[in-house]
Amino acid sequence: MDDKTIVALATPIGRSAVAVIRMSGADSIDIAKKLFRPFPTTPNMLQVGKLTTPNFVEQAMCVYFVAPKSYTGENSVEFHCHGGMEIVRAIIDECIDKGARMALNGEFSKRAFINGKQNLSNAEGIIEMIDAETQTAVKAGENLLNNRLGQMTVSLQDTLTDLISSTEAALDYPEEDLELPTIDKIQTSVKAIDGQLVELLNTVSVGKIVKYGINIAIVGRPNVGKSSLLNAFLGTDRAIVSDIAGTTRDTLNESVQYRDTKFNFVDTAGLRNADNAIEAEGIRRAQKAIDDSDIVLWVTDGTSNDLSYKVDKPCIKVYNKSDIVEYKGLKLAKNAVKVSAKQNVGIEELKQKIYDMFAAKGPTIQNGIVLTNARHIDCLTNAHKVLQQILAECTTSSMDILAASLREAWQILGEITGTTADEAIIDRIYSKFCLGK
Amino acid sequence: MKQYDIIVIGAGHAGCESALAAARLGCSVLILATNLDTVGFLACNPSIGGTAKGQIVKEIDALGGQMARTADQSLLQMRMLNAGKGPAVYSPRAQVDKHAYHTNMKNTLESEPNLTLRQGEAVELNRNEDGTYTVTTAVGLAYQGRAVVLACGVYLNSRCIVGKHSQNSGPNGFANACKLTDSIRKLGYTVRRFKTGTPARVKVQTVDFAKMSEQQGETSRRPFSVLTDHIDGAKRSCYLTYTTPQTKEIILANKQLAPLFNGDINGVGPRYCPSIEDKVVRFSDKERHQIFLEPEGEFTNEYYVQGASSSMPADIQEQIYHSIDGLENVQIMRDAYAIEYDCIDATALDATLMSKQHKGLFFAGQINGTSGYEEAAGQGLVAGINAERYIHNKTPFVLTRHDSYIGVLIDDITTKETNEPYRMMTGRAEHRLVLRQDNADLRLTEKGRQIGLVGDKQYNLYLSKVQELENGRAQLKEIITPRRMQKLFEYCGESMPKAGLTVDEVLRRNNVTAQLAKQYLGVFEQLSIEVLEQIEIEVKYRGYIERQQKVIEQSKKLEDKLLPKDIDYTKIDGLRLEARQKLNAIRPLNLGQAGRISGVSPADVQILIVYLAQHKGKV
Repeated sequence: MDDKTIVALATPIGRSAVAVIRMSGADSIDIAKKLFRPFPTTPNMLQVGKLTTPNFVEQAMCVYFVAPKSYTGENSVEFHCHGGMEIVRAIIDECIDKGARMALNGEFSKRAFINGKQNLSNAEGIIEMIDAETQTAVKAGENLLNNRLGQMTVSLQDTLTDLISSTEAALDYPEEDLELPTIDKIQTSVKAIDGQLVELLNTVSVGKIVKYGINIAIVGRPNVGKSSLLNAFLGTDRAIVSDIAGTTRDTLNESVQYRDTKFNFVDTAGLRNADNAIEAEGIRRAQKAIDDSDIVLWVTDGTSNDLSYKVDKPCIKVYNKSDIVEYKGLKLAKNAVKVSAKQNVGIEELKQKIYDMFAAKGPTIQNGIVLTNARHIDCLTNAHKVLQQILAECTTSSMDILAASLREAWQILGEITGTTADEAIIDRIYSKFCLGK
Repeated sequence: MKQYDIIVIGAGHAGCESALAAARLGCSVLILATNLDTVGFLACNPSIGGTAKGQIVKEIDALGGQMARTADQSLLQMRMLNAGKGPAVYSPRAQVDKHAYHTNMKNTLESEPNLTLRQGEAVELNRNEDGTYTVTTAVGLAYQGRAVVLACGVYLNSRCIVGKHSQNSGPNGFANACKLTDSIRKLGYTVRRFKTGTPARVKVQTVDFAKMSEQQGETSRRPFSVLTDHIDGAKRSCYLTYTTPQTKEIILANKQLAPLFNGDINGVGPRYCPSIEDKVVRFSDKERHQIFLEPEGEFTNEYYVQGASSSMPADIQEQIYHSIDGLENVQIMRDAYAIEYDCIDATALDATLMSKQHKGLFFAGQINGTSGYEEAAGQGLVAGINAERYIHNKTPFVLTRHDSYIGVLIDDITTKETNEPYRMMTGRAEHRLVLRQDNADLRLTEKGRQIGLVGDKQYNLYLSKVQELENGRAQLKEIITPRRMQKLFEYCGESMPKAGLTVDEVLRRNNVTAQLAKQYLGVFEQLSIEVLEQIEIEVKYRGYIERQQKVIEQSKKLEDKLLPKDIDYTKIDGLRLEARQKLNAIRPLNLGQAGRISGVSPADVQILIVYLAQHKGKV
């Protein structure tokens, strides 16, 4: 277990008035200072201020604790922000970007225990937890060879091993007639590896869905029944429904669990050219909801098909009000359903369609490597960063530096596959090159 | 029965360092060699240093050991390998006169007041009830020691092989120690059989150097030891030549005669030191192989043929050698041979190289499954220091992966089971950027001083270097006006800045060296070349070094979590079976070491962390 600064949502996942994000570790205060201003002047004091991420500035509160006087016994920070997964996700991403990593399940408690903050009776539970983690890790390890992430990681490592062994052989055997890999060769290889890494990182976003759920934007012209549809999904009257077009002026966020996946719905204001300033703001937010979504439900009631904005996301067309609108001669396309939100007809079918659309994207979802997912993303992102650095510096750096960075990238990938570099590289050196006196 | 504080068995590179260190620290020391002509004998190539090994030699010097000084005294050539590839891999390599090296080393032992050098084959080693040891030699003399360092090297039950001929002897026909293995077995150690080899020695007058390229030494190079004032780095040259297609044909045609392939050799040989027949067979697509001719000494006509070690029958060896460019008419003076020997599994030792099972019994050098003079000397030094500390009840002296190559070496061999002779490589040091040959003195002199092996002269040299370095670092903040840096930047082809820069910023420019800054800017005036280099590295590599330091700090935290010596790992819930067995067998000192054992997973380490937290204050 490393003692890197960890971050996670401390309140339950889902919509709530306030969400608490907790960060723990030596660097947590430094990281928090980069996000939150004005930073509280003294520990244990809740301070109102602004939380800045690349996408938004959020009014929030922040409190920090200095080791050992904290839950974990380490330096810790808590952000109290508005509930809502988009906000939470963006803040966590920002913490990770500044040097934290996603906490594993129960890691805060584990640290609290190790630092003597929890009593001994908890030890058994923690051992069980590690054991469970191990089981999952072992399972994930078994899965690795069968899933795309594992296979690709192994093959990336293999390419890296080749490159590193050529470099290391030349460095450790300077008197043999070995050529150091040229800068060109290093660039080409690293670019190829990095390209695949980026591809992998895109795949892993499917994994993110498993963890955080699928973001679904409900859009359509005013009064086609978007809010009714949301209510039908939720089985409550969360959204205000009325016959007056433009009732929903803000976006509403709601989540519902479907099978093993969470659906995060965003009900948007009807999209039209609003002359009302408040409604215009609602529409701007709706457009943002679409941009942030994984999937768009395009709701229509047959009166007009026209949507005058861009949807470059996977999209399901929802023909609503099937109880009162006769869709004469309508041939349903593959990604289309007929429902009645009011009468709760076709809703299950729609849910299944949404689920299939993502489950089909990759085996990641079914393999259930949710637990290690945060770690995987973390590793891949870090490896990507190191490779980017190599590309930026390879024309000016000396070979010892490049070798160190290459090895760092290998080690990071090794955290996914559970392998260590040393022997793999040394084996490759001696099998590939004829060396020695 | 004669009594000594410490008895060292073997006077090779490990034995000499052990004996000298212990004697210099005030112990009465007996050092035994089967033949006094083998003291400090360079049984294979006449060379000291090279990649990773050069770093070790400098570390030995910084700790107050001997090898660097003796190598400097016996020098024929000095070069810096990997020049231009970055300071982390710069590696000094020397050609030395093997006769001079032996004579100088023997003389050093003979001049050491507390040290008794004695010819004698140790045939029996027994542990007495009071914890002391009795060593008996072949002629029936017995000696008692409070601690023993076993450093028998390649002489332990060794067998030399040339084709069908094989003889029980140490290298070069020297007598071996064939009975001692029984005692080692009886004490309970696993004995393994490793193998290595050496090429033929040829007569220089029969070599056609016109067909080879000369490789001269470098006059600008500094000595290994900070105590050596001056060396001649280019006294003798080496020569590079190549095998030919005939070489390959001859070897393939006679493959069945090679003991390596026909089953006559059972020992495990190193992959990094293959014989010429092994290279040709394993890398059959390679057109030709490099061969270096290295002088064996200043006053001999013998040359060492690096790259052509072999255990082929002597007549085939001749054919092979005659097929090499420039060796068509060469006269072989000594045959190439393979040598098999006994060694132990060093996971039986702790980080001081003392047996976990028998207090006061140390193992150092090739007996631990390593290869190389430098690797042996580094271990010998650590074993000698700790033997003294053991008998005087001092805290153990442990080098770590963070402070030295010797630390990496010892951690590797005592933690991971090695299945072949272990050779040090720079690639094995994960903190290579920090463990450089140029800063070995800065890393380790203070430790050597505390131990008591670094004398006033060496320590004062160190202190003044540190002072000079501080002085140089202070100048980095000085601001240089654009006018003042114009000439330097023109010369270096660097673009001119609009405003002034600090010296630090100037040095960070790619083409600016500290030497040039001194020349053009009038800074660093009083600083030596060494300190200039050090400053330059510190500035140019700062980002990377800081990153590595951070990693080191991280891993130190695990190293600091000590595991109690009496843990029963089989009873810890949650550990996987393999981890339990490995941990119980190797008994790591701390969590960091535990994590490096193959078969111990990160999850197992977590379980151990929890276990430690659970038992805080109880164990």
